[in-house]
Amino acid sequence: MSRAMDGGRAVVRRPDVPLRALLPLGLFFLLALVFPFLPLGERSEYLLQIAFFTLVAGVLALSWDILARSGQVSLAHAAFYGLGAYGFALLGKVMPWFLAMPAAALIAGLISLILGAVTMRLSGMYFAIATLAFTEVVRTIIQNLPEATAGGANGLLVPALLGGNARAQYFLAFGILLFTALVSLAIRRSRLHHAFAAIRQGEETARVLGVSVVKYKLLAFFISSFLAALGGVLYAGKTFFINPLETFSLANSIAPLTTSIFGGLYTTLGPILGATVLRVAEEILHNSIKNGYLVVYGLVLMLSILWLPRGLMGLLRRGKHGGDV
Amino acid sequence: MTATQINSTGTRLQGQDLVIENLAAGYGKVQVLWDVSLRVAPGEFVAMIGANGAGKTTTLRAVSGVVKPSAGRITLGGRDITRAAPSQIVGLGLGHVPEGRELFPLMTVRENLELGAAMRPEARAVQAQTLAHVYELFPRLSERAGQLAGTLSGGEQQMVAVGRALMGRPSVLVVDEPSLGLSPLMTQTVFGALRAVNEQGVTVLLVEQNVGLSLRLAHRAYVLENGQVVKEGSGTELLADPAVREAYLAL
Repeated sequence: MSRAMDGGRAVVRRPDVPLRALLPLGLFFLLALVFPFLPLGERSEYLLQIAFFTLVAGVLALSWDILARSGQVSLAHAAFYGLGAYGFALLGKVMPWFLAMPAAALIAGLISLILGAVTMRLSGMYFAIATLAFTEVVRTIIQNLPEATAGGANGLLVPALLGGNARAQYFLAFGILLFTALVSLAIRRSRLHHAFAAIRQGEETARVLGVSVVKYKLLAFFISSFLAALGGVLYAGKTFFINPLETFSLANSIAPLTTSIFGGLYTTLGPILGATVLRVAEEILHNSIKNGYLVVYGLVLMLSILWLPRGLMGLLRRGKHGGDV
Repeated sequence: MTATQINSTGTRLQGQDLVIENLAAGYGKVQVLWDVSLRVAPGEFVAMIGANGAGKTTTLRAVSGVVKPSAGRITLGGRDITRAAPSQIVGLGLGHVPEGRELFPLMTVRENLELGAAMRPEARAVQAQTLAHVYELFPRLSERAGQLAGTLSGGEQQMVAVGRALMGRPSVLVVDEPSLGLSPLMTQTVFGALRAVNEQGVTVLLVEQNVGLSLRLAHRAYVLENGQVVKEGSGTELLADPAVREAYLAL
């Protein structure tokens, strides 16, 4: 209220994101930054690889969450992840990686506008099914492109990112996740935050409040798919071999969803934290229970959703309501 | 809460007129409005009364641009908004308090209010003052600012819905059935606030089933029946009209 009485001058009040709330996020990125310099011992190569894919999982989850903020619970994330991977594989042959990377992401972002336009009037389950079908369509098209170009069902070799230097690749992934987080924070502070929240909770009301529903839904699709495709570029450039079945697998659509729910929906830190905890847990379980680790993994997910309806973020902000919705 | 106080902060709201001419509209093949014409002068408080299904809500939805008219013309402050998108109409200064309040239940009261200002740059620029103004109008809301809107009572939710529309700094406010499900006391509070808003210069078009109260409050009123305006007059005239008394006041 005190600021409201600011002598009648125009005060632009932005949605509150107190610095204190940014502290855990900053801490995460600080840790991620120094991680490769830690004395990791003889398993450092393995650990760095896990860390790399944790960052990619974070990009995927956070980019999915951005789309979910506009009420569009998509199962097409694998499509844009895959389009990024394939776009990079093909463009990487004709242009340097630092151009192929944004170009691939831009193509994925533009294609997402088609899906966004087609699914504009769908919601809930119908929307989810349509996005799922879209992923299959994209996969089928890629698989049936001339083998000389896209490799068909057998897959495609990809130019290794940064000459295969694991540490450099790690820092590139770090940069992409940081970029994704900054985009997410920028959305939180802009009118997009309000537009997305309004659309998510009631399109009709959003419209009478002046939200251009079509524009903002498409914008959410574009941003989300662009970022997901950057994740796909990282994946392709790291594994330097991709095939349609794995790249466009349902798991790549489901993982960002479960990760965001587990970490905390509609937040910046939540999906990143979720990706970190889940990837590390998955790796530990995989190493300790060779058979059936997925069963335990699934149980952990189920129980945490039961007991932590607001995800890990619910633990961090116990008792506080609404701040991030 | 006086108009001069608001003047001192330079945030007095300026009313515009709203003119509807020969409006026809409907949903798919079902035509709801056949011929609706009404005029709300700048700063005027006009009520539209009528039975269920008469077309009151559809008229307001056409004004907001959510329903596209099949014929007729709507102007806001002299500008034609008949075919404009809802976001453009909000940009021109229309505030809509929808039927059933339609709050965002998982957002706090304050977030709901802020949303009302988010889509109009000129409203965003003075958001803090408008928020203080809304809290003055409804002190209860400042007490409940951090509470989830879904946990409020019906009356408090209606206050948020009115406040949210005011946050967009509208020159014309259309209000759909604010007394729905409210206690008589709460209805009085909400209507009192609408009158205060109107006295500050905002044009108000109110749709209500509580005919007695709205006729006493409004400068003028229109009676809508089967998608047509069948009567108009000052509030007192209509209150004295035997047909209106029989049909809507059960007297």
